[in-house]
Amino acid sequence: MPLVSTNRLHKFFGTNHVLRGIKLDVEEGEVVTIVGRSGSGKSTLLRTLNGLESIDDGVIEVDGATLEVDRADASALRNLRQKVGMVFQQFNLFPHLSAGQNVMLAPQVVKRTPKKEAEEIARRMLERVGLAEKFDAFPDQLSGGQQQRVAIARALAMSPRVLLCDEITSALDPELVNEVLGVVRQLAGEGMTLIMVTHEMRFAREVSDKLVFMHEGKIHESGHPQAMFAKPATAEFASFIGSLN
Amino acid sequence: MAYHFDFTFVPDYAGMLAQGVAYTLGLTVVGGTLGILIGIGGAVSRTWNVRPFGPLYGYYVELFRNTPFLVQLFLIFFGLPSLGIKLAEWQAAILAMVLNLGAYSTEIIRAGLQATPRGQVEAADSLAFTRWQVFLHVMLRPALRKVWPALSSQVVITMLGSSVCSQISAEELTFVANFIQSRNFRAFETYFLTTAMYFGLALLVRQAMHAIGRHLIVRRPSR
Ligand SMILES: Nc1ncnc2c1ncn2[C@@H]1O[C@H](COP(=O)(O)OP(=O)(O)OP(=O)(O)O)[C@@H](O)[C@H]1O
Ligand SMILES: [Mg+2]
Repeated sequence: MPLVSTNRLHKFFGTNHVLRGIKLDVEEGEVVTIVGRSGSGKSTLLRTLNGLESIDDGVIEVDGATLEVDRADASALRNLRQKVGMVFQQFNLFPHLSAGQNVMLAPQVVKRTPKKEAEEIARRMLERVGLAEKFDAFPDQLSGGQQQRVAIARALAMSPRVLLCDEITSALDPELVNEVLGVVRQLAGEGMTLIMVTHEMRFAREVSDKLVFMHEGKIHESGHPQAMFAKPATAEFASFIGSLN
Repeated sequence: MAYHFDFTFVPDYAGMLAQGVAYTLGLTVVGGTLGILIGIGGAVSRTWNVRPFGPLYGYYVELFRNTPFLVQLFLIFFGLPSLGIKLAEWQAAILAMVLNLGAYSTEIIRAGLQATPRGQVEAADSLAFTRWQVFLHVMLRPALRKVWPALSSQVVITMLGSSVCSQISAEELTFVANFIQSRNFRAFETYFLTTAMYFGLALLVRQAMHAIGRHLIVRRPSR
């Protein structure tokens, strides 16, 4: 059984039909990259997967937590969100808290983890992203790349079953991109289930088990990245690859 | 004809003046603390339109921001007894100050909450925070930090406004000044001194608010 599975997923923004029946299965440990043109619905799809956007039809299931249109109350949402971590393009760290406190907060508040234990978790997670020595630094004292790594640590501290990453290197200066991609590569290597949207095509081809090409709110083509790049099955994906260079 | 300034009355009334200052400071500390707490409650109720508090707060804020403080005070002190609620002067004075400051700080703090970047709320949402947890742990401190200077000014304004509580014989600083002036007829000297004392109090309150802001709200470890 897949770890993450969506079926008949539909989303409207007003009259704009943004997701048009998405069926997506992600196995445990799989790394899935979603690509597509601007406005094709990539972010919207990721955001529905942890309830940041409501859905208008269909069902989302993650590790036994189910979200349906008419059964998406606050507790169902929180249940889903405990299993799905998210990292954002703009980091979104809490500016009034140190890096360590940023990572500790959710375990303490949401899981009622005792402070001492939460601090141990935070130190472990910061070490995992290579920032053990930045525990007491505040977000505005960190580079963009460091902030994004803290944001990854913050998501990991809740032990999510799957991590969503929406263009997490797009807001970074070019020289800081690699340190963040390095962390993602390492997570993939450790068997973390990842669903990401990225424009770093080389990176996507290298780490992904599955590539998903979205076009006009649908999954237009998907498969193994090497195979898809070598031999696009649809004209739209071929033209998308063409537009990359 | 030159006017001869005469401040020789001051030592005789030093004790009274000190009591007036203490009274005014007491009103300010209690009124400021409770007023800001009411403001936090009002800000969150209005931001999320929590029923029934959100709409109730809306009426309350409009009422108190669009009527004179003196009339609010009279309504509480002279009006409420008709409804069977009889308050001592100091109780009426504190209540009026709390309600007045509560109304203003509701709007000030609300502006701070609304300035929370959406991304921070979404980050907390994505970590499975409840709405209250988002408010308490993510929004409140940065919001207070942002509006603390405005809030401090409002507390000072409220303190200065407390001088009208002399009208219901609450024995704060202006009441004492009026009393002294009625005894010595030295209006200029008495009110000059009172002005200087209010000025000093305002500086003190501002400093205190600044210190509270630094310790309670920023709380950054020194490094
Ligand atoms: N909050 C919103 N309100 C209204 N429309 C929205 C909202 N968010 C997204 N949309 C619309 O939904 C469509 C899909 O947007 P989405 O952000 O999912 O695209 P995307 O594939 O992530 O694009 P990009 O590559 O530019 O990030 C677009 O037409 C966009 O304008
Ligand atoms: Mg997007």
